[in-house]
Amino acid sequence: MHSVYSFVTGPMVWVAFGVFVAGCLFRLVVLLSQVSRKEPFIFSYMNLKWSLRSIGHWIVPFATVNWRRHPVLTVVTFVFHICLFLVPIFLLSHIVLVDEAWSISWAALPDGLADALTLTVIACCLFFLVRRIRSPEVKFVTYPSDYVILAIVAAPFVTGFLAYHQWFGYPVMFILHVIAGEIMLIAIPFTRLSHMLFAVFTRAYMGSEFGGVRKAKDW
Amino acid sequence: MKKAAVSLILILAGCALLMAAAAAQEDMVVVDPGPFENPQRPPSTFRHEEHNLAADIWECNVCHHVYDEEGNLLDDESSEDMRCVDCHFLEDTGTQPGLMKAFHLNCKGCHIKEAKGPVMCGECHRWRQPAADGPGAG
Repeated sequence: MHSVYSFVTGPMVWVAFGVFVAGCLFRLVVLLSQVSRKEPFIFSYMNLKWSLRSIGHWIVPFATVNWRRHPVLTVVTFVFHICLFLVPIFLLSHIVLVDEAWSISWAALPDGLADALTLTVIACCLFFLVRRIRSPEVKFVTYPSDYVILAIVAAPFVTGFLAYHQWFGYPVMFILHVIAGEIMLIAIPFTRLSHMLFAVFTRAYMGSEFGGVRKAKDW
Repeated sequence: MKKAAVSLILILAGCALLMAAAAAQEDMVVVDPGPFENPQRPPSTFRHEEHNLAADIWECNVCHHVYDEEGNLLDDESSEDMRCVDCHFLEDTGTQPGLMKAFHLNCKGCHIKEAKGPVMCGECHRWRQPAADGPGAG
């Protein structure tokens, strides 16, 4: 188990973060080069003011008609995304490991709160799963890969929760948790999870077109 | 005569202290969490005598080390008569790790180097203590 531990918490972490960062840069470069090759006129109406106006509306809960039309989805979406970043970045055990490696540390969430927020993320994932199955308009645009992506996102939280509580086969659960996190990082640039990178561009594009060309609100 | 009696009492008291310390080490099942203000995890499982037998450690200063002012390890000195927190305060001081980091680096660092003993959080910080098992089990 020592060699597995050393591998997944050593070289694999570098591989995962390396692929994540390089993959994100690659996707962004490809995006911009494709746009400038195929539809360069888009740049002629891209506008910072309209972009920020659109991003500003969509980043605030209930600030758009669509958010207001789906209040439950809105709350779940915002809570999910906030916890998704909050928990891993401010988790004590993650900070402890970074501190031991590089002597860098920052404030941590109390473990009890992090535990509750982890359960929140898992509950949100279940909501998204049920929504995909039950809601016809979502089911219509769902590919099998969307379930895999949802599982990739849920896995680090489920395994982290079980490892923290040491309920089933602790050492194996710990290793699975580390691997699940690494898989998620690697998957971000190459799956629909890349909306983490592209959402801001999509919104900026929509905002610019609606603001500058159609002279209409896009919220 | 009186001097001899005082010496004898002192020697006996010294022996009693040493025995108490040894007994305390034998009884020790977890690392003392006393210095920590708001510990988030259960104290680390640690049975001093069992650990040293299993790990074949016979010198105190393998763990109870002493560093000089310049940060050099002093090979022939040991610090088992001190508390860890006497040097390793709750926060890092310069390059000297704070108490939690010192425990982690000392225990886990050696376990990784030797490829023996617990290295994952919950292998030491256990919510439920198993009935009887040796150090490093799990």
